[in-house]
Amino acid sequence: MKKRAITLYINGEGYDLNVPVHHTLLQVIRDQLNLTDVKYGCGRGECGTCTVLVDDERISCTDTDATTKYCVSKPGKRKAILACMTLAATMDGKHITTVAGLNKDGELHPVQQAFVEEGAIQCGFCTPGMVLKGVAILEKNPKPTETEIRNELEGNICRCTGYVKVVKAVERASELMASKRKR
Amino acid sequence: MPSSRILPEFELLLPESISEAVSLLAKYKDKAAVMAGGTDLIVSMTKGIAPDYVISLAEIPDLDYVSYSKTKGLRIGAMAALSKVADAPEVKEHYPALWKAAAINGTPQTRNMGTVVGNLLRASPSGDPCCAILAIGGSVVLEGPKGKREVSIDDFFLKYRVTARKPDELAIEVKLPPISNGICSAFQKMKRVTLDLAKVNAAVCLDMSGKTCKEARIAMGAVAPIPIRLKKSEALLKNVPITDTILKKVAETVPTEISPIDDVRSTAEYRREVSGVLVKRVIEEACSGK
Repeated sequence: MKKRAITLYINGEGYDLNVPVHHTLLQVIRDQLNLTDVKYGCGRGECGTCTVLVDDERISCTDTDATTKYCVSKPGKRKAILACMTLAATMDGKHITTVAGLNKDGELHPVQQAFVEEGAIQCGFCTPGMVLKGVAILEKNPKPTETEIRNELEGNICRCTGYVKVVKAVERASELMASKRKR
Repeated sequence: MPSSRILPEFELLLPESISEAVSLLAKYKDKAAVMAGGTDLIVSMTKGIAPDYVISLAEIPDLDYVSYSKTKGLRIGAMAALSKVADAPEVKEHYPALWKAAAINGTPQTRNMGTVVGNLLRASPSGDPCCAILAIGGSVVLEGPKGKREVSIDDFFLKYRVTARKPDELAIEVKLPPISNGICSAFQKMKRVTLDLAKVNAAVCLDMSGKTCKEARIAMGAVAPIPIRLKKSEALLKNVPITDTILKKVAETVPTEISPIDDVRSTAEYRREVSGVLVKRVIEEACSGK
């Protein structure tokens, strides 16, 4: 086939699409759906700028509103992948989270909040990927050490910050998320 | 014009079973490229290499298993991601060389996408899982129109980036042997930056009886057109206690068994200089667990 009809769930919203098979997930998200919070960096799988989170399993959505096709995926294991290295046509039915989908009812996700508080954003281009990777780190390991954070951030390149504040932001986010759980 | 923004066009095929995938391969053979994680294939496409057909394994269920049994050993399915292998406690405990190779290859994101079997099929001389599995031993299970066959990893890498897989065969899993009590393994990689390919890597698998090594398998990558075993160095470790003298002899023999080249990541001279030391350190790491 040269085109495939697929459904993508992005930040809970279901999109019925007809995608050319050679289009990457990054292309479809940015160019077809105009969700430009996912950035294009190197296009070669090396910089991590296009990092998005994908639910490990295909979640079958029975609770969809017929008009809006909104489906909240159950808490599964979200893993960080590269949208530029993924063919959109192979992602039928997958639940994807981008940075724009992290805030809830106007409140920033703790990782976003921490990045702001720690001043971990300079030009901001690596930030969507960094924040999502931070979320992935903390969902798997709520109290990572600095070494663990640095190892997990190896796939995200930043040309501005020197990574120090990014690492601090992930540590801060870990504290914020822990205190949220206590409440 | 190769582009990292727009991939070349191709026909996408999405078989829903192994037998369907095999019949597609029998039909298209060399005109088709098989895609598991896509981390190798899509990079090639950004450089302009475009197969006519891409057979994606994404719709075939139950191909991503990592299953261990004490009697049968480890079986890794074609779609099992490197991170899944690295996260499996049985892999870390029983096959530490493969665990390390899977845990440090590429980046965390590519480890969630790329597969161990895909790394074997890519057959890059510097492949980390290639090196680890060549040391531990095992076989690749191929399924073709005439049925399944197993190829020992020792016979799998034929020449630069060419494997024993025939164009109408699908690699469905890699099997590693069961691990008896005395077996220990380790893997180390030398590279420029964190997400780099190896400039040289090495893995060993030792069958130990107390302090005596009964038998050793030593594999190295990025020092020849294919991942290789160092048979002369292995022979030095047959039925001997591992002493500093023996390790010194091994370190002197290693450089005589390799044929490195100059490339973007390193030089032949450097690779030759460090090869013996690297193997010595990997042997020491393998033994340190015991």
